[in-house]
Amino acid sequence: MPNVPCTHCHLEFDESVMITETHGDETLHFCCKGCQGVYHLLEEEGLGSFYDKLGDQKLQPALQKSDDLEKFDLEGFRNKYIKTTEEGLNEIYLIIEGIHCSACVWLNEKVLHKLDGVIEATINYTNNKARVVWDPDEVKLSKIIETIRSIGYNAYPYDPKLQEERAVKTRKEYYSRILVAVFGSMNIMWIAIAHYAGYFGGMEQRFKDILNVAEFILATPVLFYSGWIFFKGAYYGYKNKIVNMDTLVASGALSAYLYSIYAMVTQRGEVYFDSVAMIITFVLVGKYLEVLSKKQAVDTLDAIMGSTPTEVTVIQGDEKVLVGIENVQLGDLIELKPGEKVVIDGIVVSGEGSFDESSLTGESEPVYKAPGDNVLSGSICLDSVIRYEAIKDASSSLLHTIVSLLEESITKKPCIERLADTISGYFSTVILLIALLTFTGWWIWGGSFEEALIVGISVIVIACPCALGLATPMATLVGIGIAAKRNILFKEAGFLETMAKSDLLALDKTGTLTEGRPSVVTAKTFEGFDASLLHALLATSNHPVAKGVRTYLENNYSNLQPHSLEAIRSIQAKGIEAECEGKKLLGGNAAYLNEAGILCDEAAEHTLFVFAIDGKVVARFELSDTIREDAKTAIAAIKALGIRVVMLTGDHETSAQKVAEAVGIEEIHARLLPQEKAAMIDRFHEEGHTVVMAGDGINDTIALARSDIAIAMGSGADVAISVSDVVLLDEKMQSLYDAYRISRRTFRAVKENLGFSLLYNVVAVPLAMAGFVNPLVAALSMSLSSLIVVGNSMRIRIGSRLE
Amino acid sequence: MSENVIIVMIGISTLLGATGLAALLWGVKTGQFDDKSKFIDAARFDNEEELRDAVMMEEKKKARQKKREEAKKKEYRPAD
Repeated sequence: MPNVPCTHCHLEFDESVMITETHGDETLHFCCKGCQGVYHLLEEEGLGSFYDKLGDQKLQPALQKSDDLEKFDLEGFRNKYIKTTEEGLNEIYLIIEGIHCSACVWLNEKVLHKLDGVIEATINYTNNKARVVWDPDEVKLSKIIETIRSIGYNAYPYDPKLQEERAVKTRKEYYSRILVAVFGSMNIMWIAIAHYAGYFGGMEQRFKDILNVAEFILATPVLFYSGWIFFKGAYYGYKNKIVNMDTLVASGALSAYLYSIYAMVTQRGEVYFDSVAMIITFVLVGKYLEVLSKKQAVDTLDAIMGSTPTEVTVIQGDEKVLVGIENVQLGDLIELKPGEKVVIDGIVVSGEGSFDESSLTGESEPVYKAPGDNVLSGSICLDSVIRYEAIKDASSSLLHTIVSLLEESITKKPCIERLADTISGYFSTVILLIALLTFTGWWIWGGSFEEALIVGISVIVIACPCALGLATPMATLVGIGIAAKRNILFKEAGFLETMAKSDLLALDKTGTLTEGRPSVVTAKTFEGFDASLLHALLATSNHPVAKGVRTYLENNYSNLQPHSLEAIRSIQAKGIEAECEGKKLLGGNAAYLNEAGILCDEAAEHTLFVFAIDGKVVARFELSDTIREDAKTAIAAIKALGIRVVMLTGDHETSAQKVAEAVGIEEIHARLLPQEKAAMIDRFHEEGHTVVMAGDGINDTIALARSDIAIAMGSGADVAISVSDVVLLDEKMQSLYDAYRISRRTFRAVKENLGFSLLYNVVAVPLAMAGFVNPLVAALSMSLSSLIVVGNSMRIRIGSRLE
Repeated sequence: MSENVIIVMIGISTLLGATGLAALLWGVKTGQFDDKSKFIDAARFDNEEELRDAVMMEEKKKARQKKREEAKKKEYRPAD
């Protein structure tokens, strides 16, 4: 039978499994109840034009409704995410899930607008973040969320924090300043050309005056509005007694400007307004490039805390009560439902089940817990209802401790001083001194004060660091572009330089060196083995071992038939059993099969999975976490660059040792808790190393935040990705090596650029001191040196293509 | 005489340019360039219906304002 697309989500399925409806001569197909519901809702509301806007775009099938809506009206949630505006309205920021295209944004906005009580709803097309303002007297938040869910999307709150708003504001401000600067200098340029023509052809003073005044009018906003940043920088530098690049730019531009006004009024000498505008514009563009590539504010803590419940179910006598986590007392009995996240540390009192502790240890295999065992906050209860006793309050529980440590680490992140900053400090001091000397020299020996002033100023103007200001941003921007093409995302331009300087690489084991999930290493099948049956059995479980075996079957057996199973029972952390067409299927670890009276060999090097049909063992698989293919060659290459490679892992020594040997790492630190990993990074810092850390789990985040450069794998935990500075999208170790190479190549270009700018000054400054420089020469040399810097930065691209 | 010609030419052209600049700055300030995709994609959905929608939202705001004012009036009691 042919595949037909679902009328709502456009995904194609076999016609026989779809829900069909006939309206007149039209037949509608739906893949699920959810899609059907959404389609009719939209038709009733008169929003059918959504499908015209959607075109052929495919959507996610609409979600079936879930029932956690009441949590949005709880007090704890309100305090955390909802702001009240001055007019008594409520405001919340939401991330909307499931948006694929602009038609989706349109639909969401439309539906929210139609809802009574919603005063404002705007959704950002780029990042799907929405701001909703509503009247709490007319509509509840749970109703708003329900509405979004009813049309097949999902929404969850986030805390926009001031950081993000501030970043946007800075960028806007720079943008406005650049617009003014570019407008001013472009117009001054063409007036200046008339001026320059006047040097050679001769120009009457009355025309000169007009041009001077026009330039003056244009240069003033450029200097004081666009150049304000430099004055501010120079002022802070003065307060802290440092001479920086801003000092030179500000003093150079200001003195040239003041002198030009003097020349304009007295009608003697030439004006330098064009140089003023050009200096400000060039250096501002350089600064803007840096701001543009600044790392986005970290929403990390939102990501962890956003998914954390604000209330827990506490058993008081015979009653179940929802209690805010701050109000939980030591000794309270807390009930956990499957899928819930633990927020308070405790000891299991009744019930047993498995817990996902991957966010704490990085190991993906669930841990089985019975009464008497410790439950750690941050882990997730997977499969059963459990009651446990609180042994710590919310603020001293592990999850909270990790979050506050992380908060601290992010602000503590080491900052490597940039080469350009160091150089420009010295450079500015030297130039200012030379200018002063030139001025006094010309005054004493040359005679007139005015002439001495002109020459002194021309020294500052010619030395003004246009090329110096562009040297780093241009090169790093090109470097970032090349890295991005190879699936390496540098979040900030400056990280390229830091990475090029690093001499130590710390690697996490699980998920970084290895794939992070078990896969089959040896498989033995005996008589009577049926891959289809095993595949059907495994499909009922989400355990990583089951998934590993299932992947193996799918890769090695071609015609797997679907079977329907009956009496499925899964025993956590042990195995699964089911019946199929009268056969009894049993799969699990050796202990489980022995318990069921089936004899099998327990000796195995790795994790064992045994499959039996009707009490007879028909297959056994050994699984282990496989090492990434290219890890060994990549690590050898990185070592060849002269970098010390260290492994930090939460796993025990033997398995760490095995992986380390396989990839060729000599230095191992095993059994490390999240805080201890961070402590190791601090120790490396004390030893004077610049540390690059690569990891992927929540357990690595503190260490990642502390290291100079944090690298995360693209599939890692969201938190790890947001604290990281570099993300490897294709998750290859080879990319890690590439990242090193690109950053080193870029840093070389930065050094060349800086070297060139200095060389240019060595030639130009003596000329200026000798008084050979006029506005035309200043303008020409400034643009020429900037062009050379840009050209040299482009060479990185050519160099990287050849290899 | 010819000075005036130059003054007028420079003056007018700069003024025209400045008008454009002012428009751009206004656009930046009111956040019209914040959302790159909206800039490109949302234009496709810009029609009469959207206009009605916007009017509806305005009316909602006004209604809310009115309600608030009425509520305030009720609360207000003249001093004895």
